[in-house]
Amino acid sequence: MDTLLYLTRRIAQALVVILIVTVVVFGLLHALPGGPARGILGPQATPQQITLFNHDQGLDRPLPVQYLYYLRQLLHGDLGTSYTLNEAVSRLIEQRLPKTLVLTVLSAVLGLVLAIPLGMWQAVRRNKPADYVITTLSFVAYSTPVYFLGLVLVLVFTQVLRWFPSQAPQGDTVAQVFADPVALVLPVVTGAASMVAVFSRYMRAATLENLSEDYVRTARAGGSRQRAILFKHVFRNSLTPVIAMLGYYVPVLFGGALVVEQLFNYPGMGLLFWGAAQSSDYPVLLGCVLVISVATVVGSLLADVVQRVVDPRVKGGLA
Amino acid sequence: MNSILEIANLGVVFSTESGDVPAVRGVSLRVEPGETLALVGESGSGKSTVALAALGLLPGNARASGGVSVGGTDVMGASEAELARLRGRTASMVFQEPATALDPLTRIGKQIAEVVRNHRDVSRQEAAAEAAELLRRVGIPEPERRASAFPFQLSGGQRQRVVIAMAIANSPGLLVADEPTTALDVTVQAEILDLLRALAADSGTGVLLVTHNMGVVADFADRVAVMLEGEIVETGAVEDVLLRPTHEYTRRLLAAVPRLAVTVTGSGGGSGSVVGEEAEGAPVVELRDVSVQFGRGPRAVRALEEVSLTVRAGETVGLVGESGSGKSTAARVALGLVAPESGGVSLFGADLRKARGRARRALLAGVGVVLQDPVASLDARMSVAECVAEPLRVHRRGMGAGERRERVAEVLELVRLPRELARRGPRELSGGQRQRVSLARALVLEPRLLVADEPTSALDVSVQQTVLEVITELQAELGFACLFVSHDLAVVQQFAGRVVVMRGGRVEEQGPTMSTLLHPGTAYTRRLIAAVPVPDPVLQRERRERRLALGTGAGA
Repeated sequence: MDTLLYLTRRIAQALVVILIVTVVVFGLLHALPGGPARGILGPQATPQQITLFNHDQGLDRPLPVQYLYYLRQLLHGDLGTSYTLNEAVSRLIEQRLPKTLVLTVLSAVLGLVLAIPLGMWQAVRRNKPADYVITTLSFVAYSTPVYFLGLVLVLVFTQVLRWFPSQAPQGDTVAQVFADPVALVLPVVTGAASMVAVFSRYMRAATLENLSEDYVRTARAGGSRQRAILFKHVFRNSLTPVIAMLGYYVPVLFGGALVVEQLFNYPGMGLLFWGAAQSSDYPVLLGCVLVISVATVVGSLLADVVQRVVDPRVKGGLA
Repeated sequence: MNSILEIANLGVVFSTESGDVPAVRGVSLRVEPGETLALVGESGSGKSTVALAALGLLPGNARASGGVSVGGTDVMGASEAELARLRGRTASMVFQEPATALDPLTRIGKQIAEVVRNHRDVSRQEAAAEAAELLRRVGIPEPERRASAFPFQLSGGQRQRVVIAMAIANSPGLLVADEPTTALDVTVQAEILDLLRALAADSGTGVLLVTHNMGVVADFADRVAVMLEGEIVETGAVEDVLLRPTHEYTRRLLAAVPRLAVTVTGSGGGSGSVVGEEAEGAPVVELRDVSVQFGRGPRAVRALEEVSLTVRAGETVGLVGESGSGKSTAARVALGLVAPESGGVSLFGADLRKARGRARRALLAGVGVVLQDPVASLDARMSVAECVAEPLRVHRRGMGAGERRERVAEVLELVRLPRELARRGPRELSGGQRQRVSLARALVLEPRLLVADEPTSALDVSVQQTVLEVITELQAELGFACLFVSHDLAVVQQFAGRVVVMRGGRVEEQGPTMSTLLHPGTAYTRRLIAAVPVPDPVLQRERRERRLALGTGAGA
């Protein structure tokens, strides 16, 4: 199938999914206890105030009309106004999202850069002491809650060794964040830890599976060395399932950011979300949910496209 | 003296979770330059293990003893680096499964060039040019263009040609071919064997051919070694072993091979050939002008086009054809598993397309099914008795547990399975036993029609023979009709009264088995029959020459 046609279709599908997400978010907004009016005006509001507010905000109109209205606002980048911070939600997200992206992308890159060679190396040294040690460490890293792991890292590296500060960079812009790279180390490492654990397992399993494939035997029978087989054939074949997995990992990354940002006091979207949850700031909460959902859809779209580039069978409609 | 391969007293033991399993014991053989030694035997005889040991490719859990020397190099004592230098240059290998033997993500030209560059210091461009030349030599049309194809874009036969191109890239002295044509259709098999023979003759390559197919042996080998349970029981020239076997096991093995009766001598007829008479019974299943299409739009595949066939009460109809001919799809239409796009299907006189709900279930209860792979078609979590009882639970809901147990015991006895197997799991049985469990399950409802889709293709010949005997006996006893789908013309000839030859989704021709297969009416059927190798080296040589004179058929 033509690549352009494929992309158009795939993007159209993604848009439909995002539309469904907006319906859900809209529904949740209206399922708020006491409605948005009670949320904004507070528990002391009189029924008259509420009616007036509802009329002003168009909240007494039929739901489908309101949905269309909400959708129009969304298209204009209007996600509503925060109850507590007195600022447009879109503005808040605009400020915080880049910082979270810095954190998650760095964590993901670090995680993959470590996990992929580690997994391959483990597969090659399968059932040898090194494999067992790394497997054990992976399970420890994976089963340790992120906040606990972060606390341990903070304790060791800021209190005992005093290598890194305990706070993440505090600046408001991305440039300011990068100006203090030493302070970024612990948050990024904390975020990457579970990623390394999970993806080294995937990579190990995929590599092992591929090493037992017939084509490896064919290559060996043709006189190819183990290293060449590993890097020319097994690596690419093992990477495809990992890429697919990565697409679905986006929400997990955001979930990790929530904890890491809280732990290192890094004012990104995670902290925004955390604060909004504490103060029942629903417009902010749902705005974040919308952004994370869109990121997830985009993530799996990208994973599909990358897979299509890597694996010709996907294009041919065989895999 | 100058043997290209010399194996002396080879022993291989696999260490498994349940202890050490000896696979090969005291095997000694040689392959001289330019000759082909066939290593034959049934599954588990250790023949593939010997082949792998020749190139030092045994898996990690294998321990080998004895001596293997290839072109003077001691394979057993060699380091990985020495083996890498040997493999692909002095000795190379062709494997059974062309579908998985190539890296799916690497273009075929590049995979061939890799073997070239493993052993010779040539530039990428030179290696690519050589790869194209090799593709041309193995008979791939437009080699320069096809070199950039990915394996999934090729047919099974073409993929096997690519694997062969890789194997001959550096003109090896020894070619080890492990069941090189088992996964291929007969016409493609004939072409691949012709190709291998020409390549070996051109460059004086010695060939170690591992196969279970006596026809292939007769077609290709100069000498034969017969393996049984890890040991060689008989070795000799191909005429001697195949025509005058001395070991009792070889005799038994050869007797079990279904032989295609051919017109050339008039004496090669199969033992239990069914006389092909036009059956007179009422139609049990009838397909009328059935067309089936899979998918839609430009990528749709027409699987069947206006296929008509009838199976009458008590008769066996063989449905033959190469892969992709639509024979399995036709069987599925008869089973109601695939809805035809147009045309009519009647089962026991009722219109299967109109039957719904309870009526449809009742109709389908009259059909028993046996499929190719008994491992995949039996639930590993059920006992044999539960597997067999399942159709009773679905279709005879009123039946009591005791009655059901009795019926299961009865059917197991019919298929000659010992009663005590009933409580075992399918995985604890041998392949032949498992297939008899499938048969018991198919027969438990006393069907009027048995649909058997390649029921013996996964089995060794001796096991195949017992399963076919059981079906024949039960058919005589119970009188069901049988739609027998198979790619094996010899089996069909022995087993079916009438035959339907399919090609590309259409019925090529049909008629009584004997007359159709002995005097085929169409060029395609003639070509198909000509491509079947018969396990008689003298006769096969004649057949091959006539086939080559006839001109080979469509490319693989």
